[in-house]
Amino acid sequence: MSARLTEGAVEALMKGTGVSNTVLQLMNAKQIANNPPRIRLILSDGVHTSASFIIATQLNHLFNEDQLEPYCVCLLKKVLVNTLKDGRRAVVVMDMEIIKSAEEVGEKIGDPVPYNSDNKPSSQEGGDSNSPPSTSEVEKDNSFSWKNNTTPQKHLPSTPPSTSSDHRKSFFKSNNTPSPQKSFLSTPPSTSSRPGPYNKNSNTPSPQKSFSSTPPSTPTRPGPYNKNSTPSPSKGRGRGFAGKSPMKTGDTSPGPPAKVIPISALNPYQSKWTVRARVTNKSKVRTWSNSKGEGKLFSFEIVDESGEIKITAFNNEVDKFFSLVEQGKVYFISKATLKAANKQFNTLKHEYEMTLHGHSSIVLCDDGEGVPDIHCDFVPISELEQREKDTIIDVIGVCKSAEDISRITTKTSREVSKRALSLMDMSGKVVTATLWGEEAEKFDGSGQPIVAIKGARLSDFGGRSLSALFSSTILVNPDIPAAFRLRAWFDREGHAVDSQSLTEARPVGSGARMNWKTLSDVKTEHMGHREKADYFSCVATVVYIRKENCLYQACPSSDCNKKVLDQHNGLYRCEKCNRDYPNFQYRLLLSANLADFGDNQWVTCFQETAEVLLGHSAERLGQLRETDEEAFELVFQKANFTTHIFKNRVKLETYNDESRVKVTVLEILPMDHRDYARRLVANIHKMSDSA
Amino acid sequence: MANIIDVPKPRINSSMLSQHINRPVCFVGRVEKVHPTGKTFTVSDGEGKVATVELNDPLEEELSGAVEVIGMVSNKGVIMATTYNMLREDKGIPFDVQLYNEALKIIHDFPQHYPFEGAASG
Repeated sequence: MSARLTEGAVEALMKGTGVSNTVLQLMNAKQIANNPPRIRLILSDGVHTSASFIIATQLNHLFNEDQLEPYCVCLLKKVLVNTLKDGRRAVVVMDMEIIKSAEEVGEKIGDPVPYNSDNKPSSQEGGDSNSPPSTSEVEKDNSFSWKNNTTPQKHLPSTPPSTSSDHRKSFFKSNNTPSPQKSFLSTPPSTSSRPGPYNKNSNTPSPQKSFSSTPPSTPTRPGPYNKNSTPSPSKGRGRGFAGKSPMKTGDTSPGPPAKVIPISALNPYQSKWTVRARVTNKSKVRTWSNSKGEGKLFSFEIVDESGEIKITAFNNEVDKFFSLVEQGKVYFISKATLKAANKQFNTLKHEYEMTLHGHSSIVLCDDGEGVPDIHCDFVPISELEQREKDTIIDVIGVCKSAEDISRITTKTSREVSKRALSLMDMSGKVVTATLWGEEAEKFDGSGQPIVAIKGARLSDFGGRSLSALFSSTILVNPDIPAAFRLRAWFDREGHAVDSQSLTEARPVGSGARMNWKTLSDVKTEHMGHREKADYFSCVATVVYIRKENCLYQACPSSDCNKKVLDQHNGLYRCEKCNRDYPNFQYRLLLSANLADFGDNQWVTCFQETAEVLLGHSAERLGQLRETDEEAFELVFQKANFTTHIFKNRVKLETYNDESRVKVTVLEILPMDHRDYARRLVANIHKMSDSA
Repeated sequence: MANIIDVPKPRINSSMLSQHINRPVCFVGRVEKVHPTGKTFTVSDGEGKVATVELNDPLEEELSGAVEVIGMVSNKGVIMATTYNMLREDKGIPFDVQLYNEALKIIHDFPQHYPFEGAASG
């Protein structure tokens, strides 16, 4: 049962050719870094093995889930071949799939040997040490120690480099050019090479100057190899190349840029890239002043088909780019610093964020086709209850109503405008979203528009509500399919739906994280056995309530609930207060049995919860017991077999050598069938997924 | 069709109509349009797909909101209703057809855990 591996793939990758969709066998996987964790793979194509593979962090879960077992066979769908400073290659696997598990394969396929760049297999003509196609080889042989990093070669065809080997070979020999191999590699080997471009002193047409901005299709690409023929490449050569890319040679060609890579592929290990994306969210210029100094900044977010990323510009770059960058327009952006995203200020999903610097380039792109307008992951309003508070989410809904603007003064004595909108979506649920400042002022809620908010903060204020942040984007009647669907639904039936709002002054029960358990869990999980009490919520039905001794006479002073002793002289004595009173208060202390499909449980309900369960006050019940036995019994009958949501506290208690698990009901909430059903459905899905 | 009441009736949605031709079913959905004659109406299920219901006798009341129809599925995929009942939504809690649909899919995906067919014996 051995799968067919892509023989020759390891060699091709090590030579810098970004072959895609290769099938390789995993020999080993190991974590080599911690922050963030990086996993290195040793892969084999049946002929060679190489340890120069590292998986992109988004694939780390494969390692964490133990899917990367030695001998499994993988399909590398997308890779990025980077070249390290010393010329070695590092292949970053951006997307892969385990197509055969280790168990299915069970053994090493073929008899691979470790790939070594000195092993030049005869795929090269002559296979001599200077076989050019892989610049790395050239570089090595010519002992070029600097290398720059980027070689985005996602989907280059897997034609072995040898097509134009001859030329290059000979040429290189004579040249000894420390060519920035990047450009070379961006030459798809399929270029039918010709001596022309290689000529040292050939009429180097300008494209060569900014060679990296030459699209791969230009045959003159190899220009940069010319040692002294063109000013720019030389500038670009040498160490520190990573910092100064040849593109910055004054006349950065405004024309077609170098290979455009998707935003999702941006990472700090790659210095040569260009993205084409739309600006979705541009902030105002903000200034700061702290102990370290002061300055100004502005930030914006860009989106393309693959994802989005945040870009920040400081001080000088603010002057340079603030007026150039306009929200909604598409730009080619290149040369900026990538670093790990600061989740405190950056709510996007990208692991990195960008900072513009002196050499950054932002060029307007006229053709924005294919670039989405905005990227949103809308959460249905009904699901907001399940989400944790303070998370940043996107929502879309019909603005059923909007309050008028109100002005409030914040803690810092600033006056700010505020507007609360009621948003409803197809789930029928409504949530209140608050807009602030300018957004609040310019919002027009007439005509019940569709409102989409990207990057709103979910709060547990009033249960669940949303608040627009400085970084949120508010879209009114946006041009996106989700909006059209909502509009159509609302016009058809939504307007008549009796909606339920998540934002009310309801007790915490609706929003807080509930620890849902079933009654059998109490025993199986030994709840309450630890030092501290356990708390849980459950759905259960009352099956028995003890009528006898459900009421007791308590001290009438507020806050003292101690049972009073009947002195039989009209006075009642409270030991705690050390006083006699002429009266008492009836208080409830209920012992009830709850049951669900799995088990039953005796619980204690004190005054407050008991009154909720029985639907009457303790006083009233006390009266009934004295005056109308039948009515008293009826109360209990009616409460029997009612189903509620119970929030409980469970603790193992010891009394005179006997230990018993005691459950006290802290709160009783009305049964929410929809919520319960949704939870059950989610649990079933979870169970079947992991099965 | 006698005693359709006594026979197990799988709950289905529009997508499952074709698999239940000539069988008794229970269909829950939202009333879409009622034909002027009152003898037929359309219902949409939790997935938004529409099915047609035909009655023996014309409707005598206003039909709207969520309804549960019991009947046989004709060759053409129309539900020939023997009885229906409107599901009450007056307590402020609307009937959640999408949630119902989710549950429906689960029942059909895991028949081993929901052996309804065998349950009603006699």
